[in-house]
Amino acid sequence: MTDAPFIEIEELYFSRGDHEIFRGVNMTIPRGKVTAIMGPSGTGKTTLLKLIGGQLTPESGRILIDGQDVHKLSRKALFTLRKRMGMLFQSGALFSDLDVFENVAFPLRVHTDLPNTMVRDLVLLKLQSVGLRGARHLTPAELSGGMARRVALARAVALDPELILYDEPFVGQDPISMGVLVQLIKRLNQALQLTSVVVSHDIKETLSIADYLYLIADGQVVAHGTPQTLDTNEDPRVSQFIHGEPDGPVPFHYPAEAFYRDILGDAPMIQIG
Amino acid sequence: MQSKFSNSAARITRLGRRGCDLMEALGRAGVFLFQSAVGVPSREGWRLWLHQMHFVGVLSLAIVLVSGLFIGMVLALQGYTILVDFGAEQALGQMVALSLLRELAPVVAALLFAGRAGSALTAEIGLMKATEQLTSMEMIGVDPLRRVVAPRLWAGFVSLPILTVGFSVVGIWGGYLVGVEWLGVFEGSYWSNMQASVAFVDDIGNGMIKSAVFALVVTWIAVFQGYDLVPTSEGISRATTRTVVYSSLAVLGLDFVLTAIMFGGL
Repeated sequence: MTDAPFIEIEELYFSRGDHEIFRGVNMTIPRGKVTAIMGPSGTGKTTLLKLIGGQLTPESGRILIDGQDVHKLSRKALFTLRKRMGMLFQSGALFSDLDVFENVAFPLRVHTDLPNTMVRDLVLLKLQSVGLRGARHLTPAELSGGMARRVALARAVALDPELILYDEPFVGQDPISMGVLVQLIKRLNQALQLTSVVVSHDIKETLSIADYLYLIADGQVVAHGTPQTLDTNEDPRVSQFIHGEPDGPVPFHYPAEAFYRDILGDAPMIQIG
Repeated sequence: MQSKFSNSAARITRLGRRGCDLMEALGRAGVFLFQSAVGVPSREGWRLWLHQMHFVGVLSLAIVLVSGLFIGMVLALQGYTILVDFGAEQALGQMVALSLLRELAPVVAALLFAGRAGSALTAEIGLMKATEQLTSMEMIGVDPLRRVVAPRLWAGFVSLPILTVGFSVVGIWGGYLVGVEWLGVFEGSYWSNMQASVAFVDDIGNGMIKSAVFALVVTWIAVFQGYDLVPTSEGISRATTRTVVYSSLAVLGLDFVLTAIMFGGL
């Protein structure tokens, strides 16, 4: 295995309408490691994953995956590159017209010519690894949120990808499913030698599995390093996020006009006492 | 004066922006159609197409055939009351068949198809988009245009002309039930006048061309509205309504244009 980084993001700019989401983001995602991208809600973490997956196109800058510029590839080449990636969506995004077994079998059926018996064995192996072999006949509607995400994880690794992107894997999970997912992500990464990118704002869980962290805010990378270095970082933006302080450089209030003017309109202020 | 000027300027700007938006949407829809429809289907593609033929075509059969029966019956009843005044009720078969083959079958079947299958296609694709199923398919390396949209598009394109044939056949039979069985028109003249006056290419052929054009337009609108919608519950509801409204208007407008070309000597 080479030591070259698996993903390189260079001077990335992206906006939605007038709202600038990224202003010159640079990142290097090492091969075979778990890299976490963290930041407050609304900083564009999911957008970044979509840019990496080639679903959105940046205004300028480039993203290289294993040396290939994602946004310069033809549609066909992009789909070929995507076979080497897996992505775990926040909602699971299971196909509602297929049962659990067929959802996991889907990538195998469309991308390989394996005989049915082998597809069956592979699907059962993947389902076993997420603990849901017994749930193979259930439909997505019959699964709990945590189970749906585990099935989605089994589907994401069905083709043994080299890269897996996790979009907020811990959101809305009870402590047990959360623990299960943390273990699974860690184990899969070690067992399959994957490169993992975890986008999350769940600090404790993410710090426990990440080898390297990027913190983004205001459209830029504000800090990066190992979990230990970020924990002791004195930048107020980093410390507010890592230690979960409600107010700080990221204000509690959404920008608005003065509170008394909003309530009282243009009436003159009355001095009491 | 100043404000009057700026008001009209704003109105012109709005109009221009709407025009640009419309052109952009048409361009997107054109590229969308090309990317979905062009390409050689795989074996899996054929299987998906057959599945959609059932969903889009077979499940629309009941509503189309029942409507065809009633429309044929009403045509015969109305036609008879007018023709009998001129002693021309023997031409009832000709009137029923020509009205159905040239106009009513392609148009009404397309309108029913837009309401039954078109809205369902939009809602289904829209919900797949809202629940990120289309995005996840892209990330698995499968093009949703080929996997989800193409089979639906082709199923709609093939099934509506077949449904239109069914509509005409049942409508002519409904006309027979009312005209011959109930009102007593001579059976021989019902069928022979029909045979003598219906031309295969001019009437049946042109009706089928109309139906094929409507099939393409209705299915295109339905799948594009589903694929292009804002992925929220409100977005799905709006897109479903748009499918039915745009399809109906497109069918009626195109019907006039096609009729003018085919029968109006344009």
